[in-house]
Parts: sequence; C-alpha cells; structure tokens
Amino acid sequence: MTSADRERKHDMTQTDIALLLADAADEVEIGIAPVQAVIRGGRRRRARRWAVAGATALVLAGSTGATVALTGLHGGGDGGTVTPATRSPAPDGRQVELPQRTELAKGTDRGTRWRVVVDVWEAPRNEAEARVQLDAMHTFKEAPADVRRAADLVGKESYFVKRGLDDDFGQVVLQNTRPATDAALSGRDIQTEAIPLRPADPQRLVIGQVAVTARQVTCTWQNGTTSVVRVLSEEYEPGDMVIRPLPGSSDNWFVCLAPKGTAYKSVEVTE
Amino acid sequence: MGDRNTARDEEFQSFVVGRWPRLMRTAFLLTGEQHAAEDLVQSTLEQVYVAWRRVGSADDPEAYVRRVMINAHARKHRRRLKEFLAPKDDSGLVHEVPDTGDSIAQADDRRALLTALAQLPARQREAVVLRYWEDLTETQAAEAMGCSVGTVKSNAAKGIAKLRAIPGLAETVTQGGRK
Repeated sequence: MTSADRERKHDMTQTDIALLLADAADEVEIGIAPVQAVIRGGRRRRARRWAVAGATALVLAGSTGATVALTGLHGGGDGGTVTPATRSPAPDGRQVELPQRTELAKGTDRGTRWRVVVDVWEAPRNEAEARVQLDAMHTFKEAPADVRRAADLVGKESYFVKRGLDDDFGQVVLQNTRPATDAALSGRDIQTEAIPLRPADPQRLVIGQVAVTARQVTCTWQNGTTSVVRVLSEEYEPGDMVIRPLPGSSDNWFVCLAPKGTAYKSVEVTE
Repeated sequence: MGDRNTARDEEFQSFVVGRWPRLMRTAFLLTGEQHAAEDLVQSTLEQVYVAWRRVGSADDPEAYVRRVMINAHARKHRRRLKEFLAPKDDSGLVHEVPDTGDSIAQADDRRALLTALAQLPARQREAVVLRYWEDLTETQAAEAMGCSVGTVKSNAAKGIAKLRAIPGLAETVTQGGRK
C-alpha cells in the first residue's frame, strides 16, 4: 500500500460512513408492518407477565377482625441472592423443591431502589417431600419459623416475603407456615403487616392480603394522608402498587408505601 | 376503559406503521439479515406495546424504542450475526474497485459494509449505527445503549477506525460513493 492509499483511507470521513450505512440499509426489504401480529404478540407478552405474577397461591387463615397472621422477622435474613425459580413442573404439576416467586411491588425511594417479592412453597404431602423441601429452603436461605423437623412441614405451605434494597436483595422480612387447608379471606377481611422500608426507618411499607372480592384498599398514614391501592387491571404497569388477583389463589396481595416523613397508622378494605 | 384501550391500540398501530420502515433499516444494520431484522423489530414493538400506556405519552417514545431494540439486539443477535455475515474465506473483506454506476459493484459495496459491520464487536456496531445511521448525539446513543457517553465515544471511534481499515470501503468513499 502506498502512502497515497493510506492518505485516502484517512480521508474517509464520518459523513462518508453515514452515506454508506444509508446505502446498505436500503438493501433491506421493508414490507408491510405486521401490525396485528405485533399486537397479538404484545398481548401474549403481557399475559405471560401476569401469569408469572399469578403463579403465587397463598392462603392465610382469615376472618373478620383476625389478628395478623404474618410472622414479622424484622432485621432477620441475610440478604443473600436467591436464584429465580426456573424449572420444569413435575408430572403431577407439584413442585415442592422450589418456591414460586412473585414480585409484589417495586420502586425508588430517595434514590434507593426497593422491591418486595414473595416466595411460596407448596405443601409437602409426606415426610420425604418435606425433607426435600426443608433442604431446598436452606439453600434459598429461608428458614420456616416454628419448624423443628421436616415432618412439621407436611400439609403446610410456607411463604417468605423478601424486601430488596438496591443490590442487596432478599432479606426475609415476613414469614409464615400454615395448613394448606385453612380458609380463604372473605368480605372485608384484611391481614397486614407494616415494616420499615429501610432498617432504621419508621414503618412505611405495608404488605397485606385481602379477599379476592376486594376492589380497593386504603392505607391511612400518621400524618392523616391516605394511599389508595386498586385491584390489578389492564392499566397496570410494572412498579404500580395494586391489589393482585392471582389465578388459582385464595387471597389477593397488595403493597402500599407511606410518603416520606410519615408512617403507617391503619389500613382497611374500602371497596 | 374499553374505549381508552381501543384508542390506545389505534395510536399504537399508527406508531407501528409510521416507524416500521426506519426501524427495519436500523435493525438490518444491526443484524445484517432480513429475517433477523424483522424478528428484532417485531420483538421490540411487542415489548413497546406492553408498555405503550407509558411510552405513548412520553415526550420521546423513540428513545424508549431504541433502548428496547438495542437491548433485544444485544441479547438475541450478538452471537448469531457472525453466522449470517462471516465471510466464507479470508478474502471476503477485500474487494476490487469497480466502475461507478455498476449495480453489481454497488451491491458488493453494501455487502462489504455489512460484512465489515459484522466484524465489529456488538457494542461498536451499535455505537456506529446509532451515531452515523440514526444520527443520534453521543448522549442519545449512550441512553439507548445504557452506557456512558465516554463508552459511546470509545466504541464509535474504534468501530469507525476498523471500517476505515477496509480497503474496498475506503476506495468507494474516495471515489465519491456509488449513490
């Protein structure tokens, strides 16, 4: 290559690159936009996303005026990372060795990203399944309260509510293990727990369950303001706080967050 | 709510029809292959549909679409690209300089550029396409690629330098192109 050749190559300007790219881009056949296929695909994606959210099937003992059934574990957990539950279902559709995970809510508060997820473990049918499940729970760094031996898990479903802050994901903040045969919530039943969003904060984060017929929950804060959470609809976007109707589940879940500077006072089903 | 959803779908349809040609060209430069480009655009728009309520009312829906497309490309097409465009032999990047106006030669030039693009690492290719085909600013390209402006500058500069090193392309340009 001569020096003149090298010089010419350096003369290849960025504008020339743009022209060449435009020329090359013309090689593609544009065709007609497959609008309906795109919309169908988009709807499928949205349905799949909701189906993932609907994979949780939690049941809490409930009746009007029931005491809180959640076991608070404030400050517990180790913040370990949990592998998402991806597996093939067993032939009978039961999976006792891995939890079903649902993201209940997420957001950003004063620059801190937060999220709340629930891991649900299906009730083992026998002691062998219970042993498998208990070992699996330990790998997920999830320890059921009041369970001294694997047999204690038989016939009981367990759930672990985890709160993630920034990259520190997975601190268990609430946990319960209860008989799978317990009745579902009904009417205006509501079971909630208020916890701090950050370890040293006031109790701003409210996590709860309501009957599947509940359309609206109102959280009242200590400063007199309220937050209204409505049932999941087509308007839902990731990050919205909603009551989630979960197909196949006995109860619905919701999360609401108090504004900065105040804390939880009360919560009720208002519609 | 049904009326609102219908209106939103109609708005989205208009968006798709209006943007499809441009998105196809961008996707073609990113993927180097017709069907891969169609898949990339369709996949991108499906994701946009899911978030359309928010995206459609945003000040700059194009920015969101670009971000989705670049992410999708990075995920799905990075490894496949070389399968489509890798030259069959070592001489694939070297082209004779044909006469101006020769349509076969022009097609060769396009193929040379697409092949050259395929030789670039994905991030360099994305930076070059966004900066010099989409004509984005460095800031806009950084937003689309989810990286810093400095990373865009670096990747675009390296990509351009490699394209400049391809004899066939340099000759094409110095002869004024073939358009």
